[in-house]
Amino acid sequence: MLINLMLAYSFKNILDRQLSMLVGGAFLMQGLFLLLTATYFSHTIKAAKKVTEELELAKIKIETEKAKDEALLNSIGDGVVATDNTGAIIFINKVAEEMLSWTGAVIGEKLGEISLLTNANGEHISIEKHPLHLSLETKKQVVTKDYRFVREGKVDLAVYISATPVILKDEVVGAIEVFRDITKEKEIDQAKSEFVSLASHQLRTPLSTVNWYTEMLLAGDAGKMNAEQKKYLREIYDSNNRMIDLVNTLLNVSRIEMGTFKVKPEPIKISEVIESLLSELSVQTSQHKLKVEKKFGKDVPTINADPSLIRIIIQNLLSNAVKYTPDGGKISAEVMRRPHDVMIEIKDSGYGIPKNQQDKIFNKMFRAENVKDKITDGNGLGLYSTKAIVEQSGGKIWFESEENKGTSFFVTIPLTDPKKKIGKKNLSAF
Amino acid sequence: MKNTKKILIVEDEKPIVEALTIKLTKEGYEPHFATTGEAGLALTKDLHPDLILLDFILPDMDGLSFLKTLRLDKWGKSAQVLILTNLSDGKIADEVAEYGVFDYLIKADWRLDDVVKKVKEKVGRGNK
Repeated sequence: MLINLMLAYSFKNILDRQLSMLVGGAFLMQGLFLLLTATYFSHTIKAAKKVTEELELAKIKIETEKAKDEALLNSIGDGVVATDNTGAIIFINKVAEEMLSWTGAVIGEKLGEISLLTNANGEHISIEKHPLHLSLETKKQVVTKDYRFVREGKVDLAVYISATPVILKDEVVGAIEVFRDITKEKEIDQAKSEFVSLASHQLRTPLSTVNWYTEMLLAGDAGKMNAEQKKYLREIYDSNNRMIDLVNTLLNVSRIEMGTFKVKPEPIKISEVIESLLSELSVQTSQHKLKVEKKFGKDVPTINADPSLIRIIIQNLLSNAVKYTPDGGKISAEVMRRPHDVMIEIKDSGYGIPKNQQDKIFNKMFRAENVKDKITDGNGLGLYSTKAIVEQSGGKIWFESEENKGTSFFVTIPLTDPKKKIGKKNLSAF
Repeated sequence: MKNTKKILIVEDEKPIVEALTIKLTKEGYEPHFATTGEAGLALTKDLHPDLILLDFILPDMDGLSFLKTLRLDKWGKSAQVLILTNLSDGKIADEVAEYGVFDYLIKADWRLDDVVKKVKEKVGRGNK
């Protein structure tokens, strides 16, 4: 029996040990499991915390950048307005609000509807022509310098406006308009323009007096003149006319540079302008025994161009041809039709322009070395002005020349309607 | 002398006035002159000139004011005016065109003879 008990006891012990091993194992497993889970979670939590921290940092960074941008935009002296691609305002800086005297909330309103503009003549600009809407439509930057804001019913602020579309992957997503008060600049320009007009008027007055009295003396109105007296008087008369030409040229140059001259296109025949100018120059061409040729293409149409500007251009080129060709030479004028324009060629057999001076010939006040001493009455402004006028009229000017062989000047005038330029002044004849 | 054409010169530069007077008299016209706008307007009423040669810059008013006032007068409304000036301003030329000016000449660019030709064009020959 004892052995049975001992056996049973030892069996129990074995069982107990097994059980406890099992239980212990189970506990162990649970523990391990918990440990693993806890570790996993704490990693996740740590990671989550890290992400949150990073998000926070990014958020702060973006907000800082935004604050910086807003501070930047608000401190720009110009008005800045940003819109979406329908022209509805999404941002406006302080300066813009002040310049436009807007007090209410304007976000969401269409810029063209609430910022009213007029042009220099007081005519209202329609929404479609508003620089911002125009830039959205044309996908190009639009700049205007002659519009005025209408504030509180009055037209009172001259502004420079620059509207630029914002393009992302070929799509217009919005636009930004920047504008600036240019009242001061306009006043200065106005003053400059008036000064130039007045100065030329003051200069012309004594010049016209000298001209008319010399004319009367030469005509014998104060008694007969002998040949020598007439000769001296003619020198005075010629020099005086040079001065008058110079005043006219300076007046034109100043108006060209300030952009204040008008372009008023009319239907004209270039051949008629050339004929009229050649007859004006006939005294000089016969005096210098110059052969004059003209060739007018039969298919050259009447074109739309400003007659006084065309006259100034051709007169400058023809008088240069006469001036810079020695006695006995030849000048010619040709007009021909090309697919998109009319081309004028004024050719002479004169002194030509040396190759190393050719790139400067259109420069203000420039006179080529080879003629500076031979022909002293040039002022270096003729070609400069002519080029500016040709280009303002939408044309091109260039030349070919060889020293002592001659020069050909080419001018093209486009066949399409040139834009009417609303300037304030006419250019004078040279 | 009844049919002598009367030309009124409104100009403040004496030498210009004299040159025009000499030439116009030679051509058989009867030139008169005024050196201020006021005097010019008064003379217009007295003389009813066949043509007014108007300078643009006068000591008491500019050509535009002269024209405006002239056109308010019953007779002045249809007076013939030729602007003779040394001011070349396109804007003024346009404004002036509204007041029925038949031409706008820049003195410095015109020979005296040619100015007289223009006068002849407008009023006919003088009595020589």
